[in-house]
Amino acid sequence: MAIDLKAVEQLATDQSSLKAAAGLAKPAKWSGTGISHDGALIWGECAGSGANPYRVMADLRDLGNKCTCPSRKFPCKHVLGLLWLKAEAIIPFPAADTPDWVSDWLGRRRTGAGAPKAAATTAPAAPKDLRAALAEEAEAPEDPKAAARREAAAAKRSEDTERAIVDALDALEQWIGDQLRMGLAGFIDDATARCRKIAARLVDGKAATLAGRIDELPARLLALPTGDRPRGATVELGKLVLLARAFRAAPRDADIRRAVATSESRDAVLGNPEAPRVSARWEVLAEQVQTRRDGLVSQTTWLLNLDAEGPRFAMLLDYFPASAGRRGSVFTPGEQFAGELAFYPGQRPLRAVLVNRSPAAQDGAPAGWPAAKAPLSDELTTPFLVEPWAIDLPILLPAGRIALDPEDRPWWRAGSGDAVLPVTGAIDGLLRGTNLERAAAIWSGNRLTILAAQTRWGRVSADG
Amino acid sequence: MAEAIHDALGAVLTRWTMGAAAAPATSLWKEALGDAPEEAELRLLALSGQFLGVAVTVEPPAGLRVLPDVPALALATIPDPLRATVRRILLSMKDARQRRDLLRFLDARGWTMHPADWMPAASDDDTPDTYAPWRDWAEASASPAARDRTSAHALTAESWDDFWPAARQAAFGELRRRDPAAARALLETRLAGEGADARLRLLSLLAPQLSDDDIGLLETLATSDRAPKVKSLAAALLARLGQGAAAGEDAAELAGYFEVRTKGLLRRTRIVAALPLKTPAQHQRRRALFGIVDIAGFAAALQITPDELAQMWTWCEDYIADAGIAEMAARSAPDALIAALCGRLDDIGTAAMPTLDALLPRLDRAQRMDFARQLLRRRASCQVALNITGGDCSLDGLIDTPAGAAIVVAASNSDAMRPAELACELLAFGLLASRSAAAQAMERLGRAGMLAADPRLDMIRLNAALENNGATG
Repeated sequence: MAIDLKAVEQLATDQSSLKAAAGLAKPAKWSGTGISHDGALIWGECAGSGANPYRVMADLRDLGNKCTCPSRKFPCKHVLGLLWLKAEAIIPFPAADTPDWVSDWLGRRRTGAGAPKAAATTAPAAPKDLRAALAEEAEAPEDPKAAARREAAAAKRSEDTERAIVDALDALEQWIGDQLRMGLAGFIDDATARCRKIAARLVDGKAATLAGRIDELPARLLALPTGDRPRGATVELGKLVLLARAFRAAPRDADIRRAVATSESRDAVLGNPEAPRVSARWEVLAEQVQTRRDGLVSQTTWLLNLDAEGPRFAMLLDYFPASAGRRGSVFTPGEQFAGELAFYPGQRPLRAVLVNRSPAAQDGAPAGWPAAKAPLSDELTTPFLVEPWAIDLPILLPAGRIALDPEDRPWWRAGSGDAVLPVTGAIDGLLRGTNLERAAAIWSGNRLTILAAQTRWGRVSADG
Repeated sequence: MAEAIHDALGAVLTRWTMGAAAAPATSLWKEALGDAPEEAELRLLALSGQFLGVAVTVEPPAGLRVLPDVPALALATIPDPLRATVRRILLSMKDARQRRDLLRFLDARGWTMHPADWMPAASDDDTPDTYAPWRDWAEASASPAARDRTSAHALTAESWDDFWPAARQAAFGELRRRDPAAARALLETRLAGEGADARLRLLSLLAPQLSDDDIGLLETLATSDRAPKVKSLAAALLARLGQGAAAGEDAAELAGYFEVRTKGLLRRTRIVAALPLKTPAQHQRRRALFGIVDIAGFAAALQITPDELAQMWTWCEDYIADAGIAEMAARSAPDALIAALCGRLDDIGTAAMPTLDALLPRLDRAQRMDFARQLLRRRASCQVALNITGGDCSLDGLIDTPAGAAIVVAASNSDAMRPAELACELLAFGLLASRSAAAQAMERLGRAGMLAADPRLDMIRLNAALENNGATG
């Protein structure tokens, strides 16, 4: 089925979409493109501003389309970019079996058919011009004085921000001291309201990440058994003190700044020569989607490095507003791919953005999981000694098995018998009744959240 | 050292919980805490938090138990590349009956679900016997005191207790098919030791291969079992063998709601027709009587034979009476009479489906398949045929039946069938068709304009892709 640029032009809601699409119609932005054997469906993954790429798909019969980006424009620039790629044959679309995520969309869109028509009828009458979209805007020559002024302003902003954060951290420590004076029992009972109050102060003090963390503190606390909450509160508040002190000692440290204020943008990471780039085979362990109290939804994709070199885990983390609605999954748990990741620089690189991926590793038998690099006791403690304010970290567990206590709560017991660790969340079905040859989990220093495991039945996800 | 810190932290946490300063009262990290009271509390908090967060893990309670391994089943799990499709089909299924049909389809093709995708609950009685070990595993998981049992050997009176209930039931069913006398003898020995529900389930497994040799056991149960429902089932099985109770007052009362009369131009055709009912109480009473009177007694009360009753019954005029006699027949009619009733229903076609539903448990696979084929020729839908056969997956040339043709038309013309109806028909088609019929349908529907990736085709695509793994169905 053929498509021409005129159709792309008509489909665009406005000239700015068309211009943005022209910028995306470049091979470097795309991976995993394909076309169904009957030539009706095309799809691809487009690198956006987040850590995860967007999944983009279109039905060439009626130009129905879908993208996992949070844009409110329909169609978004990614869909237009995909159609542009196809119309101009900028990159090849190899014929392939339709991926499940495209089939899922196809199944859902039957009931809402007519979306393309709606787009056509509601599109504004503003003129759109492909040639204008393609025209490069000439860059004005940079004025050295203006550049110097800009740099000075940026430096001043940075200093102001730092000062504001330090002031906010002073208020935080004062608040922590107050909680101790008023008693942790009262704090646990009233954690949500109290944390909201100090979180708002931290937002004002430009410590946005820390504010989000404190907003989520009550949820973590209440997830613990009642008897364990005083210990949990001590650990949580203690980590906040450590983080505040660490920031004062090294306000420019990237790791610490990320934990307190804000993270670098994708472009900043990609442009940072110190950001480690790791090309490896990766397995998608799990995707965790959480709606936060600040109205954002966090989408975390955990990846396991199947090769010997580089960090064992990678975390692709994106935020989007809850009001943007449910966002489709970007990866399928269990899928393996070869790809390059750029890690945020730090002592223990974990957070990363996906630079590119190739489908090469999708052929053939799936690769096995590596063994843990260090003894279990070190895996459990070392990360928290390096980064004592961390809330939780991924670990690879050796052979073990789920055991149940008299109240049917799950515990992970090492095959060697030298460790028994409590497990959060429900563990149902198969994972209760088979040896876990390897397991990937999130370790909070006190409890495990199993993500997936290798068993004699193959790979099993903890979320079913 | 760590032990000492841990012990000392108990008092620290207690003070903080109550809102008292802890630094002045502890000897921990004295030098590091400094002299300023507020700063000392924060430092103590940081150090305590670090210690509790890194060096202390929760002590496991005594009595941790490990569940037994999920056992491997007699059939292989479906190939990994098809698991995503099966998961999607499962998600799209709206009720337990559809899921049961899918399980039967896989069973007939020689595969089972992967336990990471689906496992039965202990109470899932209608899953194929293949899954009995998983049902038993689920039951064992739920009972902490359960002892290990194995079901690897033959079921005998001695090994009876070595089997978990689902595996025992499956083994007993298999024994009954293979050696009816041995199964009966085993039941005579072990039945009394089981609970009422288990007795009922085991007794129902005597129904296939029922013979006069079973009369002694059934008479004993019908008169002296502790549970009324077991007594009632034994009496019904006796009735199937022609040993039902003599027509009594109940049968006469039920017969009073009907009349035997003639009809037609020459008044030569005799029929049994329902008399009009005047009150809800009469409806209720008649329905209750259908549940307790056996068909031979009812026929006798009408002064006709059971065979005559099957021929003379007037179908599709009083559907509640139709349902009543179908349930009565399913419970108490011999196999030959069931076949005679089905023959009549076959003449009536799809209008008889509600009635046929009650008789289905009494039909063997060949009879069901015959029925389904006949109904498909008479323009019944795939869903109707699936209702009769379950997920049998052995119908060839299904796309050439009127139901298949209707699907092809609907694939190219969205006005020909409601979308939800088309989706159900495609699912039923996929569960009914043989592998070659499924491949043929994929090709035909593709030509009609359906995308191969359309998830409504998942079941047909799965059918076409899933090899026969050696099961006979």
